[in-house]
Amino acid sequence: MTALLELKHVAKKYNTGTMALSDVNFSVSKGEFVSIIGPSGAGKSTLIRCINRLIDASGGEVRLDGVNVLNLNKRALQQTRVKIGMIFQHYNLVERLSVIDNVLHGRLGYKNVITGSLGIYTSDEKKQAIEILHSLGLEEQVYKRCDQLSGGQKQRVGIARALIQEPKLLLCDEPIASLDPNASKVIMDHLRSICSRLGITVLVNLHQVDVAMKYSDTIIGMRKGSVVYNGSAQGMKAETIFDIYGSEASDLGIEIGVTHAS
Amino acid sequence: MSSMSSKSDGEMSKGIPNLAKKPFDKASFVLRFTLLSMLVLTIFSFISFDYKDIRVFAAIGEAINNLVAMFSKAQFTNFTFQDALLAVLVTICLALLTTVFGAVIALFFGLLAARNLSSPLLSSLIKGGVAFIRAVPTVLWVLIFAVPAGLGSVAAVIGMTFHSIGYLIKAYSESFEELDKGMIEALRSSGAGWWHIVFQAVIPSSKSYLMSWTFMRFEINCGAAVAMGAAAGAGGVGFDMFMASSFYLDMREVGAITWLILLFALVMETSATHLKNKLK
Repeated sequence: MTALLELKHVAKKYNTGTMALSDVNFSVSKGEFVSIIGPSGAGKSTLIRCINRLIDASGGEVRLDGVNVLNLNKRALQQTRVKIGMIFQHYNLVERLSVIDNVLHGRLGYKNVITGSLGIYTSDEKKQAIEILHSLGLEEQVYKRCDQLSGGQKQRVGIARALIQEPKLLLCDEPIASLDPNASKVIMDHLRSICSRLGITVLVNLHQVDVAMKYSDTIIGMRKGSVVYNGSAQGMKAETIFDIYGSEASDLGIEIGVTHAS
Repeated sequence: MSSMSSKSDGEMSKGIPNLAKKPFDKASFVLRFTLLSMLVLTIFSFISFDYKDIRVFAAIGEAINNLVAMFSKAQFTNFTFQDALLAVLVTICLALLTTVFGAVIALFFGLLAARNLSSPLLSSLIKGGVAFIRAVPTVLWVLIFAVPAGLGSVAAVIGMTFHSIGYLIKAYSESFEELDKGMIEALRSSGAGWWHIVFQAVIPSSKSYLMSWTFMRFEINCGAAVAMGAAAGAGGVGFDMFMASSFYLDMREVGAITWLILLFALVMETSATHLKNKLK
């Protein structure tokens, strides 16, 4: 397996002086499902945003397909971002627009200024959007406005918007943090199947250790801006949890040794 | 919710027998002091006016009589109703023209002035300039532009447009800044460009705000256009009213024109509300 994404010595220092990330190194293979876990403020969100440069890292290298993302100019960065889908905790949809409009926004990166601004999409793109919405079980919501949807449905629209980009890598920033357990399971199952059926590499920030262990191939544990664990889900031990969260696994109600979902 | 909290307050105060005296509250003291001194000043100024030979109460009574006559016996004498209608249309066209000009220009600069869509330097630069434009009243801008353009409709259009731009840039850019940051972040992360984000996310989400601010400015411009008719000779109903009041000294005609303006204001307000509800 070749490495799709490689991070070398990535550091991020905010203007306020806080070191959000220090010397982060890891690589992600093509088609891998990776979860990043860690306490709030460990730098998980910063890390994931450094990959597509929503936040500019202050040092190191982020290599996607061998190209260092940090050196790209504006135009090249936009073209690279097209290959990276992203979904968010708060879905970040344009709530006043319909579901299909929001999904088609994922194609804007392929458009020039005029066609994109006017929202002119080809019929192939529209068909593709409908197909993706079908596969996510949203066929009845296609023309609804996004503010009428439930949280779980909105997150699926978010996934659809990322998928229509035809990305190589899907970044998920706490995708289930605002969802109930049922909706969370639906979302995680979809992410897992995107990874195994479409071969898209998935990188997920998670707060739920049990969910991370159940779905992931690899888990990266972070604490205070550094990677403290990088290994398989099965390799997680009670000490690992302690290293990451500073509390005993049993106190947190985490069972070690839950098996893989797919 | 409120009944619950008051109930629990009641139970709380039962538990504490000697409630401490209410502590000194600086804010309410300042408020009371201000109101009191304003009252004293008002009374004093009324007493100390130089009334000359005017008998105040009789004069107030006559002023009321005049007002009643103005509005109850409103009548056109020097103009026909059609003339007045045409003049109102001219005034509204002046307001519409300046609002449209202002809105188009302000939309572009509003985007550049919004902190979440522009660079901090450009944003503060535009906001600073706009604050200056707004600090000078509309009438003054018209009079300033009357120097190169001469008194008349051209000066009125340029001056009113200028102030509308200043007002709308602030209103628009603040509506844009209110928008959900995540939405813009999401589109940026998918490789969308600035224009894509503006037309596909920013404007659709802030459409109803933009609409209501523009209508607000249209209403202000209608008022300004009436005043400009008289002050800058821009024509329209303001000029007719000026003539009726200070040239013909015809109160009933002033009343009639006022009724007409009121009627149009009402129609516009209703249609604006109607349109806004449709947009939501």
